[in-house]
Amino acid sequence: MSHFMDSPEMEGISRAIRRDIIEMAHCSQSPHVGSALSCVDILAVLYFRKLRLDPWQDRDIFILSKAHGAMALYATLAARGIIPRKVLAGYFQNNGTLPGHLNRDEAKGIEASTGSLGHGFNMGLGMAFGLKRKKSDRQVFVLIGDGEAQEGSIWEGAMSAPRLGLDNFTAIMDCNNLQGYGRPRDICDFEPMAAKWQAFGWQVFELDGHDHEAIISAMAVSATGKPRMIIARTIKGKGVSFMEDELIWHYYIVTSAHRERALQELA
Amino acid sequence: MRNSFVDTIVAQCHHRDDLMILSGDAGLGVFDTLQKEHPDRFLNCGIAEQHMASFGAGLAMTGVKVVLYNIIPFLLYRCYEQVRNDICDQNLPVVLAGIGSGVTFAPAGISHYAVEDIALARTLPNLTVISPADPVEARAAARYALAADTPVYVRMARSGEREMGPDHDIDITAPRVIRKGTDVAIVFHGSIGDEVMAARDLLAEVGISPRVISVPMLQPLPYRQLCEALQDVQAVLSVEEHFSDSGLGATVQSLRALESPSWSLRILGIPRDGALSLVGDRNTLREAFSISARHIRDEVAALFQGGSHGM
Repeated sequence: MSHFMDSPEMEGISRAIRRDIIEMAHCSQSPHVGSALSCVDILAVLYFRKLRLDPWQDRDIFILSKAHGAMALYATLAARGIIPRKVLAGYFQNNGTLPGHLNRDEAKGIEASTGSLGHGFNMGLGMAFGLKRKKSDRQVFVLIGDGEAQEGSIWEGAMSAPRLGLDNFTAIMDCNNLQGYGRPRDICDFEPMAAKWQAFGWQVFELDGHDHEAIISAMAVSATGKPRMIIARTIKGKGVSFMEDELIWHYYIVTSAHRERALQELA
Repeated sequence: MRNSFVDTIVAQCHHRDDLMILSGDAGLGVFDTLQKEHPDRFLNCGIAEQHMASFGAGLAMTGVKVVLYNIIPFLLYRCYEQVRNDICDQNLPVVLAGIGSGVTFAPAGISHYAVEDIALARTLPNLTVISPADPVEARAAARYALAADTPVYVRMARSGEREMGPDHDIDITAPRVIRKGTDVAIVFHGSIGDEVMAARDLLAEVGISPRVISVPMLQPLPYRQLCEALQDVQAVLSVEEHFSDSGLGATVQSLRALESPSWSLRILGIPRDGALSLVGDRNTLREAFSISARHIRDEVAALFQGGSHGM
């Protein structure tokens, strides 16, 4: 892994990204802060330990299919130096810089426009197929949500990908166990998730989505001819005690008081 | 026209490495030559339309020129949002090749008809919409779509349409005057051209010769060129195998409101009166919709008569 940054302190990076998310959510008075916080550790590992980003034209691809977590991607891209950190202030603002969901023309590092769930996953598969066809060694990573996995299009892709031998494709499912109305299992009981993907012919890992070393290890496993699914068990609102595992932080606006408390915890 | 289109695409595969055709499990036999000669250029994505549209977008993002092939409702309706967000909004060079325009597949039923696709396709950002009328236009549409670096939708029937003119390099973006004629013009798109040409033959028997104009490019509509082709007529009859309130006729009507040309406009298309649910073949349905050769003949004759009375 010599082409990655030297031993960055992953905990510190994740905390810094979470602080920026809190600032963005506060400045923009926009929702989805819980969705952004749950996937920070996964994005931090991807951008600081896994993705080949240099040279840029040969970079690995990352698509945030669950674009409700857009703040996490913007903050991570800024932390990694791919976009200037100052553009974060224009997130979700009138005459701003970054839209609420992702538009690939708006910023470097946004590989695909996403926002409607169940799209980015299949675009990623198409990219993986195209890269393999060109005999490129570039990898494709896509992050989906557990709520997003209720989309039929996810399962269309799940059934199609193994036959194509897309072992250059890794999906990560951010299982933060809360969707718009509550617990996914009360809305659409899709467990056992790992067994389903295994049955569909995927190489499946299941891990704690806040354990950097576990994510790094899973992503280091060599290709086996199968596409990969990493089921990452996470906590919505992770890192801010009063937001953790609380449905309402899918919607709540971060007030000045919230911001102050959250930043203290993330200091 | 379908085979003319596909053959043009397949011929390009011989000297273009960047071209792939994806099918949604449709068109058995249509791609036999391609699968035999270039097996790596064809992928059956299965009965998974949303997946295919997004997958095609992703594939295009790696530099591949992608042709998505399916029956129109499964190409455009089932996965409208994937086509909108992933292909059109991202402005990718994907060709949406749809078959079964109008009621081509009658009496297969409403699920297999495409009677509102022009209206839907015209709402999509960056999308060029082409409805060829015969094999000549289908080949030109294929050439145009292959050269485009933006998304293109090509609306086709199936097969059997007769060629309406010599097979030279036509400009698919412009109105195509098929018969010069005077006083009254018939404008149309797609396979209903067969009925238009039959009507034109019936009218010739009674000494009436309308101008006949195919308008294959529906988005962007070449309205200026169309107006030039119509400048000396008194009346225009628009005919299409599409809902009459939202296709070519409706588009021309809304555009003419901007500048009030001298010609009057009469629109023939599929009515919203329940006739779509009739069980019958395409010819029977065209009769029921009043868009058959007989109806076109009568409408044109009436317009000519109106003209002679100082319309």
